[in-house]
Amino acid sequence: MAWIIIIALAGAAIARPAAELLGKASGWVMSLVPLVLFVLILRHAGDVADGGAVIATMSWVPSLGVDLTLRLDGFSMLFGLLITGIGTLVTIYAGAYFAEKPVADMGRFLALILLFMTAMLGTVLSDDLIVMFVFWELTSLTSFMLIGFDGHKPEARKAAIQSLLVTGGGGLVLFAGILLIGMTLGTFSFTEVLARSDELVASPWAGVIAVLIMIGAFTKSAQVPFHFWLPNAMAAPTPASAYLHSATMVKLGIFLLARFDGVFATMPAFGTTLVIVGSLTMTVAALKALRAEGYKAVLAHSTVASLGILVMLIGLDGEVAAVATVGFILAHALYKAALFFCAGTAIHATGETSLRKLGGLARFLPVTAVAAVLASLSMAGLPPFVGFISKEYLFEAQLTNGWNVVPIVVAVLVNAVMCGVAGVVSIKPFYFKSHRVDAVKHGETPVLLIGPLLLATGGIVIGLFPGGIGDLLIGPAASALYGSPIDVSFQLWHGLTPMLVLSVLVVSIGVAIVIWWDAIHDRLRRHDRLFRLIGDGGYHWVVDGTLNVARLSTRILQNGDQRRYTAVVVAVVVAGLAIALFAGPAGLYIAAPDGSLRVSVTLVLLLSAAGAVATVLGRSLIAALVSVGIVGFAVAVIFMLNGAPDLALTQIAVETLLVILLTAVLLRLPARQRHSRTVGERRRDAALAGAFGLVIFLAVASMSAIPLDMSLTEYFGQTSYLEGFGRNVVNVILVDYRAIDTLGEIAVVAFATIAAWALLRGSGPSKRAKE
Amino acid sequence: MQIIFATMSRLFFVLMIGVSLFMLFRGHNEPGGGFIGGLIAALGFALLAMARGVETARRALVVHPVALMGSGLLLAFVSGLPGLLSDRSFLTHWWTEIGSTHLGTATTFDIGVYCVVVGGVLCLVFRLYEGIEQ
Repeated sequence: MAWIIIIALAGAAIARPAAELLGKASGWVMSLVPLVLFVLILRHAGDVADGGAVIATMSWVPSLGVDLTLRLDGFSMLFGLLITGIGTLVTIYAGAYFAEKPVADMGRFLALILLFMTAMLGTVLSDDLIVMFVFWELTSLTSFMLIGFDGHKPEARKAAIQSLLVTGGGGLVLFAGILLIGMTLGTFSFTEVLARSDELVASPWAGVIAVLIMIGAFTKSAQVPFHFWLPNAMAAPTPASAYLHSATMVKLGIFLLARFDGVFATMPAFGTTLVIVGSLTMTVAALKALRAEGYKAVLAHSTVASLGILVMLIGLDGEVAAVATVGFILAHALYKAALFFCAGTAIHATGETSLRKLGGLARFLPVTAVAAVLASLSMAGLPPFVGFISKEYLFEAQLTNGWNVVPIVVAVLVNAVMCGVAGVVSIKPFYFKSHRVDAVKHGETPVLLIGPLLLATGGIVIGLFPGGIGDLLIGPAASALYGSPIDVSFQLWHGLTPMLVLSVLVVSIGVAIVIWWDAIHDRLRRHDRLFRLIGDGGYHWVVDGTLNVARLSTRILQNGDQRRYTAVVVAVVVAGLAIALFAGPAGLYIAAPDGSLRVSVTLVLLLSAAGAVATVLGRSLIAALVSVGIVGFAVAVIFMLNGAPDLALTQIAVETLLVILLTAVLLRLPARQRHSRTVGERRRDAALAGAFGLVIFLAVASMSAIPLDMSLTEYFGQTSYLEGFGRNVVNVILVDYRAIDTLGEIAVVAFATIAAWALLRGSGPSKRAKE
Repeated sequence: MQIIFATMSRLFFVLMIGVSLFMLFRGHNEPGGGFIGGLIAALGFALLAMARGVETARRALVVHPVALMGSGLLLAFVSGLPGLLSDRSFLTHWWTEIGSTHLGTATTFDIGVYCVVVGGVLCLVFRLYEGIEQ
């Protein structure tokens, strides 16, 4: 099963060079990657049919206990098939969508799409929560890059950063939740977490964990109050919107909540919160959908509403809710991706994004129009489409749960709006006579039609013959979700039920919305204040506030004056040490000196003190440099006298190098210069320096009062030759015991030096050309 | 003075490089090691740069200091891979005995440290001394 991830990753790696090589055909060729994966995943269908799971493990970071365990059950298979299936269509579609763009653009897009697909597959397949989190954040990153694909447009950049901040930030919150789970249960394996969910729910951290995971999921799936980023993400190229921001990525939050619904099943507040947040999101998104102008924006708001429905469904209990969730995920992915494809073709053909200015396109894009109508009928929830079945289940889940009437009313109204939206996005741009488009830039090509047609007809085929897909996909997925096998009868006709009544009600209101769309739209546009409240004002407030704080602190702390930097650093060290010394548990304790006075050490120390005094009093910089050098060499001698030849050698070499480096700097400065510091400033400096010296003295003195723990010294002394084959313990520690620390240190040294090297680049008056 | 310094710098340079290599290889058993060795070698090159110009020192180094730094980092990293293969533990060193001396990937690691230190210091030294008239 690991091959699934490896093949996907390899596809992402070769996409760019392949696009250079294949040119226009690359969409077709690269679509083989997701297609192969689709088949590979489908081959496991038999293994998960009874609600079981396929598990494959390989060790990844054994010392941290992180395993690359992949787990395929019915629910992740549904996601895997959606990801690879729609991925195939998106790659084909992108081949035509980018046909007039430079080949490099197409390569970049395909590489990102396939990388995103890898991340998605990794997220839904990994059993280890840490691994899942890594892939989860990778989807946020690729989404960021795809939204900002047209990086030259400011709104694309803004939307990309917004989505990254919201989803990436939410990911960090989720990570905190995962770490708490690991702390509580001592495992990151989801299978085990699920098995020991009682233990988790009983722990004092349960509430916090649930909240953290919900926040992570809500950001990803654009739930209130994080709903604002998804409509803005429509700045991405349309194939990416169809894939990431309707069919797959935004459903990851749903995926996560559905997974953890099993864990938190015994915590009633979990489900209640989901129902409330889902209903709120549905309402807000429905209102915004009615008000939106752009073709993609309307679709995006309706996507948010659909995600709200899914969150609400997960909050409900029971078998029917599980079936409804799974059915709705499938139905929504099919019709929404198809509609996005149609929107993309319409926008691509006309260059017009506003829904109001599109009309009569059916003459130019006849097949696209048919696909749009088919998809929107499924979205409207009319028989015999799969959307109808899933909506029936939705109402059934609500009714059987005995919830009070408010969520049902919300669901009816929101579904009516979705029905209205479905009508408007398919009929208006293609068939309405008003704002008729007279000419299009490009017609539809067969390649642009494959995606929408397949998905839209898929909606009706599944609707007409629901049994097969019910056994193959819906049943196993719902069983995995519910936790025990469910006997699913996924049928078109349920008989004359209350659900059917609600459906009829939905469609009637929906038709009314289509008829009075413009009027409702104009009325809603007048309520600016309300929509500002449910927009992304809060996000801007937080971001702008952060930037203002950053600006303020930069002005205070990073004002460009080296003396102030030094003063701040010294003052902080003094304060920190003083607090630790005086307020610490041991209090200030200085050992009385014992033993005799060592004359040689005393002399060297006196010498170094003299050097320090000379540094302060020296009139020229060269003299100060030499005096500092005296202090440094005296320290080296102290090391030597105390039996640390390694340290002494290093100290001498560093001291010499420092002189060489500083000399080069001094050669560029005037040799003698009067102090630019005022008397007051010098007094303050002196006070700081004196305090620093005093605090360090006290710290060293009290440190030497603590008896030295020699166990480490003994351990290293004993084992250094036996295990590291070296008698120089210091060196053996550096290159063997603590080699990874050393590696980190030299990496830091290298990177810091490269930065300094680059900064110094402009300082030389000449010779720049040689570098 | 300038002539004497320039003439002697060659001698000192060779001596210091020799000492630095000595320090590097004896480091496992006696005071020394990659870090100190690297500092001494860098001092040698810095001496050459001060006495005979940065160009001479750059030619003596053959490779660019940044490249040296990068290859040192790579070497240190690569030295950890054998351990990853055999013991599934990064930077667990391999050892072999030639006569009475132990040689192993720890030595490679130390050479990596040496290269990073030499490259890093010389990056700055060359940059700072470039453009200063002799």
